[in-house]
Amino acid sequence: MLATLVGAVLPAHAQTAPDAPGKPAPAKDIQTVTVTSTRDPVDKSYRKMIRGMERFAREHALAPQATLRFRLLPRTPTVDMHGITLRVLGDHIAVPVAVAPDNSFVLPRNDQALQEDAAVVANRKTTSMTWRAQVVTPGLPPGTRRLGDLRLECLVGMEAGLVSNSSPLFGWISNALTSPEQVCNSPDGNFLFFTERPVFSVTLRAGERTEILPFRFLYAGGEQTRDMLPFCDCQVLLDRTYYVPIWDRSWPDDTLVSFEYMDDAHTDATSPQETTP
Amino acid sequence: MKRALILLAAALVSGCATRAPEPGTSVAEARFDTLVVPGRTTRAELLAAFGPTKTVKFDSGMEAWLYASPAAAGRRTELVLLLDRDGIVRKLRKRPPYPTDPAR
Repeated sequence: MLATLVGAVLPAHAQTAPDAPGKPAPAKDIQTVTVTSTRDPVDKSYRKMIRGMERFAREHALAPQATLRFRLLPRTPTVDMHGITLRVLGDHIAVPVAVAPDNSFVLPRNDQALQEDAAVVANRKTTSMTWRAQVVTPGLPPGTRRLGDLRLECLVGMEAGLVSNSSPLFGWISNALTSPEQVCNSPDGNFLFFTERPVFSVTLRAGERTEILPFRFLYAGGEQTRDMLPFCDCQVLLDRTYYVPIWDRSWPDDTLVSFEYMDDAHTDATSPQETTP
Repeated sequence: MKRALILLAAALVSGCATRAPEPGTSVAEARFDTLVVPGRTTRAELLAAFGPTKTVKFDSGMEAWLYASPAAAGRRTELVLLLDRDGIVRKLRKRPPYPTDPAR
């Protein structure tokens, strides 16, 4: 299907190519421009990421104590996630961005970069990584996440255009189909979250109510075939991938999300004492 | 043409998870409890006792297997296993049906 679609799109681009290779273009068509850097068409948009930060500010009530960072995650099997550097690159400006050892970062505000519609560029092939917002309320029990934080991660991530598309060719289409509200407020939104280690079970807890998430909430629904994985930004993170019902308002923002990891010491979970079905 | 592209792309993007998942092979929970012992039960023993079921294989060599047992009101209990690289069951968990689960 992809080949069909690519085949359908490419000819339209080819029609705009000027002349055959090797044939000099007419002098009247030559224009002089100054290019101080090159940008990949699928680099992250600085303007969009700033819009994501503004969304965080507007929706801060979902996670009043939390701070916002962005985070880089591996997308392809061979990408080296050590020593990544980031820059905000415009036509005449380059702003370095400090990257923490966990590959998270805070994006600085810069008016000139905004005016120049700068890109956020890493020293890695853009499609080798996926990007996410990271919203963390301090002081949570170790190893847990808070549902309101995850709701905000979805809204900010979608607003900032962080989720990797299957192909640059699909960018304009998928953006048209997926507003932050459509994705984050719908059971069919399919916004993927990632754990720190391969996960075996995810549990929600709010007051006396506790539920283990169903199997279809793990591993991108368990529906990915080998052929499909390269088109999902869970490609190399499948065993760390989960959905959480951010759309279900019966779970309050303070709901705690806890994880049992594959490498945790064995616990016999045949008697889920914590559940209240 | 544009409409066709949008439909194709929507199918591809939503391929990340919107299809209804396979439910997992149905088994009797009591028999499952008797036969499956983490740290000992093998892939071959699972296949012999319960047959193939929905599985997810990871690059690490680990596998997650989903079986299901019928529960009240048309719902079901999920029986999830984690198999290691050697095909031995390492973890087992049960997810009981909850009142908010859709009936099947």
